[in-house]
Amino acid sequence: MSETDYDQIVQLLCDRLADLSKTSKESISPETNLITQLSIDSIKLLGLIMEIEDAFDISIPINALTDIQTVHELAELIHKIKSAS
Amino acid sequence: MSSTITKLSAPLTQAFDFQPSSELQITSTLNTLTQRLADFDTLTSALEYAAKGITGYNFYDAKGSLRSVLPYSLLRENARVLAKRLFGLNLLRGERVAIIADTSPEFIELFFACRYAGLIPFAMPVPVNLGSHAIYVQQLRGMLESGQASIALANIDYVGFLKEAAEHVESLQWVGTPAELGEFPIKDVDFQDNHPDETAYLQFTSGSTRASRGVVITERALMCNLQGIVRNGLEIKPNDRSASWLPFYHDMGLVGLVLAPMVTQISVDYLATRDFAIRPLQWLKIISRNRCTVAFSQPFGLKLCAMRVRDSDLKDLDLSCWRAAGIGAEMIKPGILRNFAERFASAGFSEHAFLPCYGLAESTLAVTFSKINEGCRSIQVDSKALIDRKIAVRIQAEGRKQSEFVNCGRPLPGHIVQIVNEAGEQVPEMMVGSVLVHGDSVMTGYFNNPEETNKALKSGNWLDTGDIGFLFEGDLYITGRRTDVIIVNGRNIRAQDIEELAEQQPEVRSREASAFGVSDEDGATTIVLVIECRLSAIAERQSLTTRLQQLVYMAFGVNCVVELVPPHTLPRTSSGKLSRFAARQGYIQRTNLDGQQLSAVESGDR
Repeated sequence: MSETDYDQIVQLLCDRLADLSKTSKESISPETNLITQLSIDSIKLLGLIMEIEDAFDISIPINALTDIQTVHELAELIHKIKSAS
Repeated sequence: MSSTITKLSAPLTQAFDFQPSSELQITSTLNTLTQRLADFDTLTSALEYAAKGITGYNFYDAKGSLRSVLPYSLLRENARVLAKRLFGLNLLRGERVAIIADTSPEFIELFFACRYAGLIPFAMPVPVNLGSHAIYVQQLRGMLESGQASIALANIDYVGFLKEAAEHVESLQWVGTPAELGEFPIKDVDFQDNHPDETAYLQFTSGSTRASRGVVITERALMCNLQGIVRNGLEIKPNDRSASWLPFYHDMGLVGLVLAPMVTQISVDYLATRDFAIRPLQWLKIISRNRCTVAFSQPFGLKLCAMRVRDSDLKDLDLSCWRAAGIGAEMIKPGILRNFAERFASAGFSEHAFLPCYGLAESTLAVTFSKINEGCRSIQVDSKALIDRKIAVRIQAEGRKQSEFVNCGRPLPGHIVQIVNEAGEQVPEMMVGSVLVHGDSVMTGYFNNPEETNKALKSGNWLDTGDIGFLFEGDLYITGRRTDVIIVNGRNIRAQDIEELAEQQPEVRSREASAFGVSDEDGATTIVLVIECRLSAIAERQSLTTRLQQLVYMAFGVNCVVELVPPHTLPRTSSGKLSRFAARQGYIQRTNLDGQQLSAVESGDR
């Protein structure tokens, strides 16, 4: 895994999540829980997935999201899909 | 980590494993066959007829490219071969087959294979929420047990969840993928004709954890409802074509947009629900490009389209072909429709296309349809008289607080809608009460669940819909849904399921949690969970609140407000049962809400 890619993904996620959840970027870390700490509801989630898919030109399978709770887990998922494509 | 890679590699391989779309051709709109409007005895006889023509099902991917095509002729062929493979499992007629219903040709082939083999299919949902793995598996298990499935199938993306759910489900003899079933030998047994009184399929009504209820729909009820929909509701013609993003595991998606097109031999274009939810405009692009005439949505779907569209998208869309924009499955707020019509007027959308209707799975799908080509009609009534005196008083003058309700139209032929009061007596027009339905589309009951069946089916086979409304000039107006169902973003969530989640927490005793929905003026619904709580430490209270919000999110994909109150705050009935209605009134009083302020309430314990 190339660390730069992963870090870039985390950066982009934190940016977008700060926007979506109207919190400061500094308060979001890889360990942040998307559900309990950021209250990302299903509509915000759909918007986020669209942006991720467009930004990285990937398709996120819906079944993979069932095991995602933190920023780190989401970033790792994107990184894996990106590396496989 | 390696396990994640294995899981991921599956859908990815599949995603690239299809024929290039340049070789595919969509099925045509015009058929070579004389159109018959659902005048069949059974689903298989309808398919035998449709297979003589050239129309069928088309599947699009997230980018709007055609991914696969399943003409009715090929569906018949594949379903019959699959049925003969199913015979190899030596199941008895009427045994149940559970299928996770993603938007794919494989699901439809399996569904019809079951009918050819005399088996009863039922569709199960795909997972939709972040972090929902454990709860999704629990939901599947509830359905497998309630439907007493003998075999269960899911494609490669979902079969892992299915196998987890299948553990300890005693009725199950086999679990696998359609591809694995495809390797079973063909057993050459003659097909037996299905009888109109046989069960065609089960329809599960909500993704509840424990109390999953499978609605039993016979071939006769199905065909009766389909006839009403295609002849009276939609007035289907030979040049019609449908487009749909509705999930195949919902009654509107399955009956309205898979079966109704087939029994009228028209073509349909599908977009997976997930792909619609992320890029809703793909649906409109398909309608525009393929000149589709009939497409249904929940109001929520229209709201998503209006939210996401940019001005630059509009010039490429021509929606003037869309003559029937069916709206159903949740309370219809006229504002959402008006907004959609305004936004898409320049793309040729006509507000006359709106076709509000009312129905529920317990009556197969549809109960009432408004008049086609007349758009959404509504009336204004006095809010105070509605609440205090349960009567709808029309308002012409400005100033009084008013509520607007949408005309959902008249019952399908052969069906009766009646409004009754709490004593079960029929009330006159304009009086608000429970909505009851009678007719051949009504279910025979919930599968293997006489207790729930008796609650829903009253004497004389009247179905208590649980919804509240009134009749005016013969047309039905729905004013509220039953208190035990909360509808958020178009999804039905049972209050009981949320309360059960709460009661599974060690700090919460049984009968000390009450869940309900509160709506703001725009019709957006928030779930409120009120808990009687003995904890005093702030950290403990916060931990409970956070945990409950997380659980509700993982199960239902929505945020909720959790309110902790002292013991004995929640109102109870004389028998000691919690009253959700009274709990909701109490909450509204405590928080001093009226509609507009609701959105300002923050979630959490304060």
